[in-house]
Amino acid sequence: MKAKWGRRGAVAGIFLAFSCFFAFVCVGVAYGATIAERVSETVLPNGLKVLLLENHKAPVITFQVWYRVGSRNEAWEKTGLSHVLEHMMFKGTKRFGPEQFSRIIQENGGNDNAFTSADYTAYFENLGADRVGIAVEMEADRMANLLLREDDFRTERMVVMEERRMRTEDDPHAVLQEQLQATAFQQQPYRWPVIGWMQDLRRLTLKDLEEYYRTYYNPVNAFLVVVGDFKKEELLPQIEKAFGAIPRGVPPDQEKGIDPPQLGERRMVVKKEAQLPFLLMGYHVPNLREPDSYVLEVIATLLSNGKSSRFYRDLVRERELVLSAEAEHSLLSRDSGLFLISAEPLPEKEVAQVERALEQELERLRREPVPTPELEKVKNLMEASFLTAQDSLFFQAMLLAQFEIASTWRAVDDYLPSIRKVTPEDIQRVANQYLIPERRTAGVLTPLPPTKETRTAPGFSIKSKTVR
Amino acid sequence: MASDRMKRLVRPLAVFLVAAVFACLADGALQAMPPVQRTVLSSGLVLLVSEEHTLPVITFKLLLDAGSRRDPSGKEGLASLTANGLLLGTARRSAEEFNEELDSMGASLDAGAGRDYVTLSLQVVTKDLDHGFDLFMEALTQPTFPEKELRKEVQQTLAAIQAAEEQPEEVAEKAFDRVLFLKSPYAHPVEGTRESLPRLSAEDVRRFHRTHYRPNVAVLAVVGDVTPELVQRKLIPRLTAWQAGTLPPEQFTTTFAAGPKREEIDRTMTQATIVLGHRGISRDNPDYYALAVMNYILGGGGFGSRLVDEIRVKRGLAYSVASFFDARKYPGSFQVVLQTKNASAREAIALVLQELERMRTEPVSEDELSRAKKYLTGSFPLRLDTQGKLSGFLTLVEYFGLGLDYPERYPSVINTVTREEVTRVAKTYLHPEKAILVVVANLEEAGLEKGKSKE
Repeated sequence: MKAKWGRRGAVAGIFLAFSCFFAFVCVGVAYGATIAERVSETVLPNGLKVLLLENHKAPVITFQVWYRVGSRNEAWEKTGLSHVLEHMMFKGTKRFGPEQFSRIIQENGGNDNAFTSADYTAYFENLGADRVGIAVEMEADRMANLLLREDDFRTERMVVMEERRMRTEDDPHAVLQEQLQATAFQQQPYRWPVIGWMQDLRRLTLKDLEEYYRTYYNPVNAFLVVVGDFKKEELLPQIEKAFGAIPRGVPPDQEKGIDPPQLGERRMVVKKEAQLPFLLMGYHVPNLREPDSYVLEVIATLLSNGKSSRFYRDLVRERELVLSAEAEHSLLSRDSGLFLISAEPLPEKEVAQVERALEQELERLRREPVPTPELEKVKNLMEASFLTAQDSLFFQAMLLAQFEIASTWRAVDDYLPSIRKVTPEDIQRVANQYLIPERRTAGVLTPLPPTKETRTAPGFSIKSKTVR
Repeated sequence: MASDRMKRLVRPLAVFLVAAVFACLADGALQAMPPVQRTVLSSGLVLLVSEEHTLPVITFKLLLDAGSRRDPSGKEGLASLTANGLLLGTARRSAEEFNEELDSMGASLDAGAGRDYVTLSLQVVTKDLDHGFDLFMEALTQPTFPEKELRKEVQQTLAAIQAAEEQPEEVAEKAFDRVLFLKSPYAHPVEGTRESLPRLSAEDVRRFHRTHYRPNVAVLAVVGDVTPELVQRKLIPRLTAWQAGTLPPEQFTTTFAAGPKREEIDRTMTQATIVLGHRGISRDNPDYYALAVMNYILGGGGFGSRLVDEIRVKRGLAYSVASFFDARKYPGSFQVVLQTKNASAREAIALVLQELERMRTEPVSEDELSRAKKYLTGSFPLRLDTQGKLSGFLTLVEYFGLGLDYPERYPSVINTVTREEVTRVAKTYLHPEKAILVVVANLEEAGLEKGKSKE
């Protein structure tokens, strides 16, 4: 259940982005000033928000452009549009030809990439501090001047389909997750996968992309985050010069409906060739705009973060029921999301037995107050993880940006205090309110036995001329 | 007995310092690497320290020459089990206590084996340094490897091996190694096999630890919120007490399979996972740098590379395609790895072979050469910008004997590579006609069923 973004990758599910991130980043007081106190915010006259965080520990900078658009902004039958547009953003402008973007960044010793989630599309360049001007110029250029060409689109859509095959179709866990989301959400856009349904990818058109780009890729719907070895008084004028002249655009409608409360547990099964079964349960929960969301954040850590966590200690080590068991909370999703619990039973163990064991763990949370030393341990763990994750400039930028997407970047400073406030009673109350069967969709991957087997041939002789 | 050992460990032994070298790099706008202090302790342990105080966090990375290539025949997985076993209980703490204490500090302590070496890494907040370092040293020097814990670990590993069977890239990589490395300590999976794991005993693990976990085959990097004074006072006394040992002489030989060879693995999947490659080089091969440039142009350079351009950008056949030389202590492999829909498998394989051949026969362009050099030299700072990356880099620089002036030398070594040299190393080290091809796919859809793909 790791979020991966390779080259121009989709973040493969709406939850994965946050969970992976918070597995790393979870709490901490930096020396002296808080994170938010060290950030400078400027809003350019055209509405583009610029967040700058100086950090001089290494001669590098991460430059990131975040657009407030993701699969939640898509329409049914046009799913996957945000992510396809992300791919197309590398296809050039009048000034820079197709594929020149990454080439130029690499020539300057930098790495670039992009990722898409349900809530955002983000582009970044990590590069030496003396080269940041190149990223500023080129990102400003493609915010306003992207050239969308039919040929590029047709080829790139094939690439995205390959990406979908790799990440989803041939990965039984990913298929279960996709199906679970489609079951847990009925009305809100978290229902469909970020990468889109295969048949929707086929029916997207260049016109869809043009319209989407016009609607969402505007200063008023974007913000920049820059972290690293620069001086604000030198960098900000460069940014103003490059981005300042871009027309502000019309703020797009960002209000999306939320699913009404569900009327009882939902259960679903995916049958697919696989080695081991897999169990995934999603509980409807609020995001960080509700204080209870921080309690859920603590619960997720208590259940599965670290080798002394309840899942690892009880289910992996002591009872030897599972290969792994995870709990993940979608604290930073823009609309309310799911609290996910997953488990991979060991061979010979019954899914039902594992599900009972997971339910027992939740029952324990609902019934017994968490002992104070255990809660202290969890808070320490979250605090230290938050601190150590800041070793990465990239993650500092991610942190600010994800808070900005979900509410405001300033809320990053609420994270630790909100965690510290959580009491054993809070945990019990929140577990009783949200982590109950009535709010849950339970999904099971039932492995089908393999229908094919290995074979070895003595040699091969496919010559270029015989194919194509 | 345990407490005796502890007393010995905490005795300050500063006199054992043999050499301390300061490798400070020339100042420049983009200093590639922060200053590093290198010390060789009397036990042979090489200690590398780099201070950086923006975060109250310290990272330790220990590298030990005790990877899976040291597995005795029939005991595949022993090195890996030993590494994982470090965290399963010590002379002073049970596994539960150990885990509880680590989590209470929010420290992370991870151990793991690779083919050549094992790493033990600790990341800890400065205020918990003493406690964290205690656990680190205990895991390293006083693990007890309880039988019950090892049995569980083996069960988990067996299940993980089974689970990996549904991941096509893992299946393909394992098959590739099995076919390519005929008789070689590099042939078997690091984690062992279904057959070998049940044969491993606690005594095997303890013996492996006793023999191989010695400071004279280890490198320790300490990076972050530390000072030389603190290293001298707190770390060195305990590190010095870790006793050197005599290791059995290593007889490493590999027989590589002579290609062409093909292994087809039939699965109900929508994509073909393709690994195509052959023997590679060792890290000390003098052509390493020319190959780095060549491979960047071929398929190591992402969107700047030929394979990505031909297979992904021009034809939309794959999301991911890359080539690499896995340069180890002894010769490893060269591989091209890609995924494409079953129906495109043959076309993609043909394109890979074509690009390998083109690299051997046509000179690369000046533009390609210059882009490769600019990236390889210019991206150096990005390889060192976190504690984790820097500590990993430092241990490898030492392990492969590159010298702490490596970041300084690297640009000139790369920049002297010529177009002729790129072609020469391509001719010498790329062998498309003798490649091992592994395909995990729905073979029927891929048109790769036995017989059909032959001419």
